[in-house]
Amino acid sequence: MGDLLGHVWPPQFSQAILFGVLLLAGLLAGEAVRRFLALPRIVGYALAGVALGPRVSGLLGVEVLQAARVFVDLSIGLIVFELGFRLDFDWLKRNRWLFATALAESLFSFVAIYAALRYFDFRPLIAAAAAAIGTATSPAVVMMVAREQRAEGQVTERMLLFTALNCMIGYLLLTLILPWVHLEHQTDWMEALWRPLYLLVGSALAGYLASFALLRLAAWIGKREDAQFVLLVAMIVLVVGTARALDLSVMVAVVVFGLLAHNLDARRALLPLRIGAAGQLFFVALFVLTGANLEFGGFGAVALAAMAFVVVRFLAKGLALIVFAPLSGLRPGGGGLVALALLPMSGLSVTMLQDTAALYAGFGAELASVVLPAIAILELLGPLATQYALQRANESHPETQDK
Amino acid sequence: MSDETTFKPSAATSIGVELELQLLRARDYDLSRDAQDLIARLDKVKLSGAVKPEITESMIELNSSVHLDYESLCAELETMRDAVSKEAGLLNVRVSGGGAHPFHDWADRRIYPTARFRNLLERYGYLAKQFTVFGQHIHVGCGSGDEAIYLVHMLTRYVPHFIALSAASPFYQGEDTSFQSSRLTAINAFPLSGHMPFVPDWSEFAEYFEKMRGFGIVESMKDFYWDIRPKPEYGTIEIRVCDTPLTVARAAQLAAYAQALVAYHLEERPQNPARDTYLVDRFNRFEACRYGIAGELVEPYLRRKKRIGEDILDTIAEVMPQAHRFGSAGALSELSAGVRAGTSDADWLRQRRTERGSLTDVVHAASDRWQGK
Repeated sequence: MGDLLGHVWPPQFSQAILFGVLLLAGLLAGEAVRRFLALPRIVGYALAGVALGPRVSGLLGVEVLQAARVFVDLSIGLIVFELGFRLDFDWLKRNRWLFATALAESLFSFVAIYAALRYFDFRPLIAAAAAAIGTATSPAVVMMVAREQRAEGQVTERMLLFTALNCMIGYLLLTLILPWVHLEHQTDWMEALWRPLYLLVGSALAGYLASFALLRLAAWIGKREDAQFVLLVAMIVLVVGTARALDLSVMVAVVVFGLLAHNLDARRALLPLRIGAAGQLFFVALFVLTGANLEFGGFGAVALAAMAFVVVRFLAKGLALIVFAPLSGLRPGGGGLVALALLPMSGLSVTMLQDTAALYAGFGAELASVVLPAIAILELLGPLATQYALQRANESHPETQDK
Repeated sequence: MSDETTFKPSAATSIGVELELQLLRARDYDLSRDAQDLIARLDKVKLSGAVKPEITESMIELNSSVHLDYESLCAELETMRDAVSKEAGLLNVRVSGGGAHPFHDWADRRIYPTARFRNLLERYGYLAKQFTVFGQHIHVGCGSGDEAIYLVHMLTRYVPHFIALSAASPFYQGEDTSFQSSRLTAINAFPLSGHMPFVPDWSEFAEYFEKMRGFGIVESMKDFYWDIRPKPEYGTIEIRVCDTPLTVARAAQLAAYAQALVAYHLEERPQNPARDTYLVDRFNRFEACRYGIAGELVEPYLRRKKRIGEDILDTIAEVMPQAHRFGSAGALSELSAGVRAGTSDADWLRQRRTERGSLTDVVHAASDRWQGK
């Protein structure tokens, strides 16, 4: 029955169908975990991804995931842009303890994870690179949970601020480690220094140029929400594409883009950013794809180390926030909740990992063996922690809480 | 007489104000919900006045202490404003005057978690959240309950003045309302809004109050949302029709005007209370909300129409001798100058919209102005 009425049998599933399945499965799983288990929808999206992914049903094969990379980049682009856009230099200037808190929180995490992995006999370079990745909180998860909970208040604001900062600090640390990784592979010092420098400066420059163009164009277009939204998405796509084409860091370029678009807008040409219902589309796809990419294989070998990674990371963030948060004017008890909210790790860490792996394949694989299990744990537990923290802080909207 | 109906006399013509303020997110200038955190911080700051919660978490209320003259009131308000702005800054919250937030969505508001405010939500439903509007209340001290009743009746005639001079809520729910003050419309919806009944003295007022309490309609004086009401526990009358202006200076000027008016009426007793005042009251009030100083009011004693602005200028001239005594002649002259120039805070907000193109920018500019930048 190869040719029935001119059709090919069995039918070839096009990418469009797969994409529809992906969205639908994510959406339904998200609603189901929300209704029946009162869990954040993200957990459902990720579980749908795991089920569809190469490890379980294989419906989303490796080629599809590769092809969807552009979509993931774009989704992350939107999220990271908003994160950068929310980072307010004025606030950091007015309240200097905020930056001190963020720095402490990031460095404590880095040192704690490094020490824990060294204890489990990982090589110093692997431990350091994993610790740098572990410093960062997943912006996508915290922003999604905050959106879903319609959370508002000081714990929410600080969670987002510290996420923006620990992502940048984590990325910086990782970039500083790269020269040594490079030296492991080759002995060319110039090349070792040149690569990270190119990555950081090039990405930042791309972000700066994009923000400059965005502000000019927004001023010319005027204050119309719909037009500015299209402009913004177009610019984000351009930045993501450019960063990919030039081997720059998508994440650094976009976060700098968002940051400067907000903080250099002296004449306030831009309207406040509101990613509406359409944005949800990107987020569902992003989390399903992240779930599909989760790595559970080889979990047993490093299970203890991965658990230790997760636990010391939380303790380090907790310690830093409990000590420093009150100094920055957060209410008593708020620090611990912010630390809990900062737990998620996911898509962005995968991106950081892939960026590294793209440069040094062997090193990347070794690094992935310890980081991916930790990510898998936190992909599922992280959103729960964030949701719980925002509810405990009394910042979730009452209507979003299930009775 | 019960506690509620015992009038505790205070220093006549002393003044104090309450200012309801908007708390804004620095990110997008929509209303924030940081009142609790901000008040907790301000509790640790030594202030001569008080900072209190209001019905939703997007508002706080500044209470001045009692003052005998304009200068000290103005100075205290400035000190309090600066303290509030500073603490709010640490939380990345901005503060602003103005009678209504131009574009917030009332459904997003959250009720401040106290028993009283929760009961209000229970009782009034969505009206409670829509009550997220921002007013200035002016207290003027009275020597006795009878004096307070007399003054409420006499000052009712000037309600349009206070509305027009303070009007700062032209935008509501993202639209230009065409009103100078849209805020009072939110208050009109409440069943106990309006004005005090035409009673001749305190004992009859107390009787009225007990009767309403007997009916189970009110529990305390707080339940009356009247334009001007006696406040027996403070020994004052309270003028409640003003929008919170865009600057503390304006707020203090309005209080100075009320003080001079009260002194003038207590000293000169130019007229007796007249029931007709309440016949024209609704009409006058609408004109002031809609058109501000350009509106017309019906003068109940002379029974003729007059431009509100013109009436304000005449009245200020009349009470100048009293103002000189309180050191507020300059303040009243500034009010007059504004009327002559035909400007108002509402107009200022509209100009910002025309200049900058979005309501977000209007709120930003208003907040810069309030914080004295």
